[in-house]
Amino acid sequence: MHDSSLSDTRSAPATTAVTKTRFRRRSKWLRAWFPYLLVAPAVIYLLGITLYPGIYAIVQSFYAVKFGPWNPVGFNNYVKLWGDYQFWGALWNTLLMGTISLTLQCVLALTLAFHAYRDPWVRGWRIIFLVPMLFMPSAVAFIYKLMFLDARVFSDILIRFGLVDGNLAIQSSIWGSRALLILTDVWQWTPFLFIIFVAALQGQDEEIEEAARLDGATWAKIFWNISLPLMRPVIAVALVIRGIDITTMFANVFIVTKGGPAFGTETISYFIYRTGFKFFNFGYASAASVIMLVLTIIVAQVVVKRAFKSARG
Amino acid sequence: MAQIELKGVSKRWGAVWGVRKVDIEIADKELLVLLGPSGCGKTTTMRMIAGLEDPSEGEITFDGEVMNAVDARDRDVAMVFQGYALYPNMSIYENIRFPLRMRNVPKDKQDELVRRAAKMVELSDYLNRKPGALSGGQRQRAALARAIVREPQIFLMDEPLSNLDAQLRQAMRVQIKYIQRELQITTVYVTHDQIEAMTLADRIVVMQGGAVQQVGTPDEIYSDPANTFVASFIGAPPMNLIDGMIKDGNFVADHVEVPDVGIKTTGQIRLGIRPEDCAVVSSAEQRHNMKGDVYGVEPTGDMTVLTLRVGEKNLEIKADRDYRSELGVQENVVFDTNRLYFFDSQSGERVR
Amino acid sequence: MASIRRVKGENLYIRYLILSCWGLFCLMPVLWFLSIGFRPRTEIITAQPIYFPTLSLDAWHMIWSDWPMAKYLRNSVAAIFGSVMIDLVLAIPAAYSLSRYEYRGREDIGFYILSTRMMAPAIVAIPIFFLFRNLGLLDTIWALMLVYAAINLSIVTWIIRSYMTDIPRELEDAARTDGAGDLRILWEIIIPAILPGIITAAVIAMIFVINEFLFTLLIASTPDAYTMSVALANFTGGSDGVIYNAIALVAFLAFVPVFLVVIAIQKHLSRGLTMGAVKG
Repeated sequence: MHDSSLSDTRSAPATTAVTKTRFRRRSKWLRAWFPYLLVAPAVIYLLGITLYPGIYAIVQSFYAVKFGPWNPVGFNNYVKLWGDYQFWGALWNTLLMGTISLTLQCVLALTLAFHAYRDPWVRGWRIIFLVPMLFMPSAVAFIYKLMFLDARVFSDILIRFGLVDGNLAIQSSIWGSRALLILTDVWQWTPFLFIIFVAALQGQDEEIEEAARLDGATWAKIFWNISLPLMRPVIAVALVIRGIDITTMFANVFIVTKGGPAFGTETISYFIYRTGFKFFNFGYASAASVIMLVLTIIVAQVVVKRAFKSARG
Repeated sequence: MAQIELKGVSKRWGAVWGVRKVDIEIADKELLVLLGPSGCGKTTTMRMIAGLEDPSEGEITFDGEVMNAVDARDRDVAMVFQGYALYPNMSIYENIRFPLRMRNVPKDKQDELVRRAAKMVELSDYLNRKPGALSGGQRQRAALARAIVREPQIFLMDEPLSNLDAQLRQAMRVQIKYIQRELQITTVYVTHDQIEAMTLADRIVVMQGGAVQQVGTPDEIYSDPANTFVASFIGAPPMNLIDGMIKDGNFVADHVEVPDVGIKTTGQIRLGIRPEDCAVVSSAEQRHNMKGDVYGVEPTGDMTVLTLRVGEKNLEIKADRDYRSELGVQENVVFDTNRLYFFDSQSGERVR
Repeated sequence: MASIRRVKGENLYIRYLILSCWGLFCLMPVLWFLSIGFRPRTEIITAQPIYFPTLSLDAWHMIWSDWPMAKYLRNSVAAIFGSVMIDLVLAIPAAYSLSRYEYRGREDIGFYILSTRMMAPAIVAIPIFFLFRNLGLLDTIWALMLVYAAINLSIVTWIIRSYMTDIPRELEDAARTDGAGDLRILWEIIIPAILPGIITAAVIAMIFVINEFLFTLLIASTPDAYTMSVALANFTGGSDGVIYNAIALVAFLAFVPVFLVVIAIQKHLSRGLTMGAVKG
């Protein structure tokens, strides 16, 4: 079968002079360090933007810094923080709103994903659900500020349905304001989890599910006993990423509630911003940053590392 | 065009030995096959020749020059991979041209060489396609063309045919051998398929557990195996191994007896007999060496593989193509006594 | 409808009820906000909300004539583009190193890079503010670029790393024996093969940059360096109160391109959002 083609090569000289280089010796040193050289620029850049500020914040936290010179105050800033109910309140608010919001998002996203992932129009649903996530957070904050506070559309609808008598006083109620911030976050970020969960469900081995069906399992049982346990690593990663973003929530607070009423919606990010850039109490704000930093490192080491390890298998 | 030598080459990862003290000499223009089951160290050995893996100990030389510290890119070897490893973003033409481009071959020369290589593997009509648009056999030929295009010192082929179906494999085997003879390039070929090894090789290196078991021509490996591993790895169905004793110069085992085997020692021994060196005798009165009950009858067209239950063991016999029988029937078998092999029952080494 | 797959016992009415309700919940505020953009200011905050306003292009004229919207847009695009470029230049070699070589400390370096994503902007906000003030970079888009690049570097690195890990080792070995060096392999073999991953990483980085608010607020304190996001927050127009119709229009102007790009990479989105941990 290859006679015709190969007879050509017989006529061509088999020793076509392709360049033959003298053997180059490679440098052992370069080979050992090459991978480090490749990763170094990124690491140095990140060190610059994390380590430098971290050290800067630690140093600054031992000074009273307004506009002028830095006055050393020892541990005073930390002592003051310890007794600052606004700081503890901010920490509590962050945790409280974060937990409620994250739980709601997770349950909603799971429910939606489980109903959507085998739907023939799943791509369509995904695009619709994505819309809130792709607005700038400041825009989302304004949508909710206008709808619930300034233009009172929400109250108006409730009144029209006869559910309430007069305008709701959301702004002056701590839980009303918290609920509003949570709602805003749920609206914008549930799709994040939804997309991840749909992908995870679609990626599951159908044969396992079919075997369970043949064994007579109902869809609820399949969900609880098969799909959900298989998704655990994915859920962990998604919640970790989302959880971190929630605890750093800032734009919504800044635009919708300004931390009010009575500091009831002030998050830790907003606390640092307010202390530093509204009252220009930089040393004090840095002390709060350092505590946040320590918490972050603990969470990163304990939770994040494990979540990502298990998801990557 | 090179002569390769491996001197005491080992590869270890911590306490795990991948390859253990391997010595191989590969003559110029030779086609050497590294044969063994998966995990035997044959691929690691090849990767060390290629320079993709550094040996932990020992020396690798090309034409007497030590290559240990030379990078893969500078060794002038070409490798064909099991998964073809075609660059998915490049056309077949670009794929074949890549090694020439890397070696700064003049532009006009490149085109000529690419077309010639493509013609050798009959891919001239597919040069503009992407690898994804080709069949498995075509991809394999493209990979081959990429390897031969620059006429390297050495070809390395790592199970190049194992992803192809049986028919295609046979055709490609012939083609690879033809091209290797044409170009006269020293070739190392890794496979776990003994048929591929037997048909392709000038010499075969049988490996197991990271160590060389035997080196020899296909004939030597087949008819003069050095130990039980080599004996049972080559041949399909494999050689029958029967544990027994030497008593008064006769081999005796459960349901087996071979007189005057010419072994001087006494005691435990293992007898090897290939299925094709056994024959079924028609009546129990005739001289026979073994009897057993029919366990399975597998006609393959050109012959029938008969499996007999002998004591606690299943032994295989290549019977006549017309042979048929019922399960459980007792059959008597005679051995070709010129083709008996004896192995030490402890070490597995050949006893001569 | 015969093609709709369902599990025994699953009620399709409930499925579509749930999905449609959430769809409406997602879209209603958006549509209503869009209607804000095309109504006169007098019909935004009223005693009774107006659901069917008169059409007006006031806001459209306002954002282009009264505000330097073109400049904000340019700042946004420049900051996004610049930061993504910085990220790719730094992340591709880093990801290559993390995915293709075995060396001591590799996992720790990878995890360090990831952990920078976990750092709240507020923690580093003050030092970064002083750093850029001392460098004289406050109120410039250069500062924004550098900060945005830092925020996303971890994500971009991890996404690209995940795609690189999927490339068969053989491909690289083939290129090496063909005579290519490490950088040549990266440039000619790896990068073209993972182009979808690189684009995904760039798009995800873009989404997060657009979402960034705190740093932008601190670093860009004058309109010279405003991006769309912060410009919005400053559309409070002094005594005029919040100029919602202009805000609505700007929000949609920023939304449309992002939306189109994200639809284009839909398939890769879940993998990108989890930094490669979940393969879609």
